[in-house]
Amino acid sequence: MVPGSVPKNEVFTVKAIIQHQMETGLRTDSAGKTIPRKIINQFVCRYGGLEVFRTDLHEAVSANPFLEFQLLATENGRLEFSWREDGGATYSLYHDIVVT
Amino acid sequence: MSLTRRHMLTSTMGTVACAVALLAPKHSRGADEVEDFLFRVTGRKATPSNRLRLVMPAEFSTGYTVPMSISVDSPMTEADHVKSVRVFAPKNPLVEVAQFHFVPGRSLPRVSTRVRLAAPQHVVALAEMSNGNLLMAQAWVAVATNGCL
Repeated sequence: MVPGSVPKNEVFTVKAIIQHQMETGLRTDSAGKTIPRKIINQFVCRYGGLEVFRTDLHEAVSANPFLEFQLLATENGRLEFSWREDGGATYSLYHDIVVT
Repeated sequence: MSLTRRHMLTSTMGTVACAVALLAPKHSRGADEVEDFLFRVTGRKATPSNRLRLVMPAEFSTGYTVPMSISVDSPMTEADHVKSVRVFAPKNPLVEVAQFHFVPGRSLPRVSTRVRLAAPQHVVALAEMSNGNLLMAQAWVAVATNGCL
């Protein structure tokens, strides 16, 4: 969730959530076998191509990891969000922001 | 006032409850203990600071999704900014929770997320400032049901 337009040099809030099990690798299935770890291990937000916020996530982050953070509206540009999963798969989303 | 058996029982129970409370681990764990924990995990010394705030509910129903908010007082200039904040849950089977990286002039050192806590515990935040200083803060969280990891 990102506001559509923001006054220049104002702070705006970004809320990002991805549906994900965040399997910790510490649980076992009914047969007693360990369920392999599969978590989102990194989230990156770029603004106009520049990294502005990054999070390394570990097993203790809740399922469906949610992040709320604040950025400074410096220029019109694209906000790109990417989530990296164990194994290297990434999920991305973008949102263009208008600075007035 | 006559002392009845009931009076005796209730007052004894009260004393026992107090004794148990005294024996139980203190909620306000000493800063020393947290500093030791951080030193063991990171190999560096941190200073308790009011500039770093870790806000979590003192009691929460489930350990699976405990809300957490972090903020640091900082001008976020090139010369003086927060590089990152790391969070630890010392009573979790894996103590590392997350690390948040900020960029001067672009992001504010404020973030909220949700975490899993395997037991009631002090959660610890560690902020690395641009001058190399390490600030720390802690928050006691009692979870009613423990979040399995």
